[in-house]
Formats: sequence, C-alpha cells, structure tokens
Amino acid sequence: MSIVTIRNLKKSYPSFEVDMISFSLERGRITGFIGRNGAGKTTTIKSMLNMVHPDGGDIEYFGMPLRGNEAAIKQRIGYSTGTVNWYPRRKIREIADVMKSFYENWDEELYRRYLEMFELDEEKSALELSEGMKVKCNLLFALSHGAEALILDEPTSGLDPFSRDELLELFDRISAEGVAIFFSTHIISDIEKCADDIVYISHGKIVAAMSRDEFCNEFSQPNESLEETFLRLERGETNA
Amino acid sequence: MRNILMKEMKLSASPLAFFFIAFGLMFFLPGYPVLCGEFFVTLGLYQSFQYAREANDIVFSALLPIAKKDIVKGRFAFSCCIELCGWVLMLIAVLLRMTAFAEAELYRTNALMNANFFALGMALLLFGMFNLIFIGGFFKTAYKTGKPFITYIIVCFVIIGVAEALHHIPGLAVLNAFGSEHIGLQLATLLAGACCYVIFTFLSYRRSCDSFEVIDL
Repeated sequence: MSIVTIRNLKKSYPSFEVDMISFSLERGRITGFIGRNGAGKTTTIKSMLNMVHPDGGDIEYFGMPLRGNEAAIKQRIGYSTGTVNWYPRRKIREIADVMKSFYENWDEELYRRYLEMFELDEEKSALELSEGMKVKCNLLFALSHGAEALILDEPTSGLDPFSRDELLELFDRISAEGVAIFFSTHIISDIEKCADDIVYISHGKIVAAMSRDEFCNEFSQPNESLEETFLRLERGETNA
Repeated sequence: MRNILMKEMKLSASPLAFFFIAFGLMFFLPGYPVLCGEFFVTLGLYQSFQYAREANDIVFSALLPIAKKDIVKGRFAFSCCIELCGWVLMLIAVLLRMTAFAEAELYRTNALMNANFFALGMALLLFGMFNLIFIGGFFKTAYKTGKPFITYIIVCFVIIGVAEALHHIPGLAVLNAFGSEHIGLQLATLLAGACCYVIFTFLSYRRSCDSFEVIDL
C-alpha cells in the first residue's frame, strides 16, 4: 500500500527546474533517492515537506493531499534535512522538551533508547557536536514519535563508516516494523546495502523509480556494480 | 496554540524581550517623552526576531507538525504578550499618576506629554504600528529585519512627536488632562487606540500568513 504518492511534481527556479517527478513509497520498504549534487533531490524533499512550493503536481500522504493537511500529516512522518542547523547553542534536552509538546505520539522511552544508541549527551548543544553526531541528533528527533514514514535528506553524509553501517542496519530494523523510509544520498554503497527501491533523479528528472532488482535488470550490464551503472548513466551512456 | 507560544518563549525569544518589558515603567518619568517606553519594549522584540533568525528558527518551526500559518500565529502571539505586559506596566504607572500622584508638582509642571489614558491609547496605536510595519514586513521574506524596523522607527518617532505636540495646539490641551479631568475624552482616546491596535494587528497577521505561505524556505 502506498503511503506517500508524488505525481508530476514541478518546481522551476531561474536556472534549474525539477519536472514530472512521480514516485510512491510503500509501507515497510526502504527507498534510496539517488542523484548527483544539484540533481534536484533536496528540492524534491523540501517540496514533500511543504518547505518549497511546487509549481505543479500532487503530493499525498496516507491518501490525503499535503496542502490543507500539513499538521496532521507531519504528526505521522519523521523527517530530517541533513544535520541539525538550528538552535546551535541550545542543549538537545531543551530542544527535545519543546518538540515533545508538538507530537501526540512522542515516545519518551524510544527517545531515551535512541539517545543511548546514538551515544548522544542531551546536555550538549549542536555546536558541541561533530557533523556526524549532528546527523544522529536530527535522526533522534525524527525517530522519537513513532513515525509511519521517514523522509531523510542525506542522513549518511558526514557519518564515519561504522556509524553509517549502524544507521543502515537501523533502517532495516525500522522498516521491518512497517515504516516506509525514503532517504536521499549520493553514496551508492548506501543504496546497495539497504535499499529495496530506487528513485534515480538526474538533471531534475526522474530516470527510474522501481525496485532495486528491476533497476539492475533494466539498466545494469552483466557483471556491473550499481556504482558503475550510475556512473555510466550519469555520463549519458546507455545499455546499448 | 499553547505549545507554539511556549516554543517562542523557551527557544526563540531573546532574554532582552523580557527585560525590556520593564521600559513600560518609563511612564513614571517626569520631563521625558513617555511614549519612548513603548519604543524600547518593541526594541526588545526586534532583538528577539534577530535572535530567532540567527538560530534558524523559521526552518526549525517549519519542520514541526504545524501549519505554516501557525508559525506566524506563534510569533504574533508572543509579540502581543510582550507588548501587553509592557502596556500593563504603563497602565499601572498611569493609574498611580492619576490617583496617588495626581497633584504631584513634579508631574503638574511637566512640559511634556502627561501619562494619562490618552497616552495609553497612543502606546497601543504604536504597538499596532509595530505589528503592522515590522512584523508584517518581516514575514514578506522571513529573514529581513532591517528595512521594516527602520520604517517602523521613522513612523514611531513621527507619531511620538505628533502626540507630544498635540496638547500645545489651541483647543487640544484637554488631551493632557490630569487625574480624572475630561475622563470621557481620555477613555474615548484609549478606546480608539485599542481599536487601532486590534485592527492593525489582525490586518498584519492576515497579510503575514499570506506572504509566509508562498515563501520557499
């Protein structure tokens, strides 16, 4: 069952546009959103969070349009846009205290568990955290209210290989509980490690939105790794 | 609504916004343009807007499970709270000057505007102008504070100047009434100020919601 559906999303800037972006996210599946820097990943994700206004297209969560149902939808999804870049001098505890008052399903026990798992000290402020720990801090907030879908913009960037591995394993565990996970990345090994589905964007257009197996069947050449496939596609080469 | 207001107070507000409420007590000062007290209260609010902007509060708020118009509502609610707290201090000063200190020589010989209900009405008008010009201007971009604040400063001090000058104009000396003199007129001017405050704040809120809704963050 699709819990997020994007249809014909379009957003134009003076020197760039994303156009005809369509894909859907399924319950219990991990979707990797891949594309090079500037391909339109962040614009798409910001549109999905109503942070930028699309010029056209439909965005639906749980069968409801985002416009007009923003607050109710955001109660049921978790999201992080890269690292924590707000309230750098505030302690994690202070921010969490405010955040929990907004979420009907805030789970204090879950919050404590992730705090421990990510080895975060809630008496520290974002300014005192490394880039990797800031990503974890953002994930901590996104994961602590029992979200049914997680939308994460480059959650693995800045993480050391061990933390990345831990995080991707965590994705597996969360998706097994029925949560849809959508994460953007330009690190192809992240996709190889855990993605069930791939949404591939290039120059503002969706090239493929399908399961990883279908993607490999359609685009990869024999004995070619996923990374080699993407590099070949980005160079403009085809299967021929 | 309560959680948005608490977010504003606990995270977004600069401590100066709370400290500067005390400038409402400038209504006690003799020989001083008392309406400047209103300006200093709004100066604290301006600091708060800057503080929140530096902390990237708009993006933080946009990620919370609230509609974009609720972000605007929170900022207006916080500003109105601070303004009304400052105004209550002004009211206390006015009530004391109208009663216990009604005959005080210090206030009677004051060449400047008397702190009475007319002054309170003017303070509300000025708070309304702050909400209309500064907050409304801020939400056009959600990051530019300089231009709307300078515009507000100019309008604010022109109004303060006019308010200070009015009672020197023949026939308008009654605006400087002491104690309960011309109480009907004093209350009418207070009511007019309150109406301006409500109308300007509401208009600005509506306009800010519309502008903020279409901004890309």
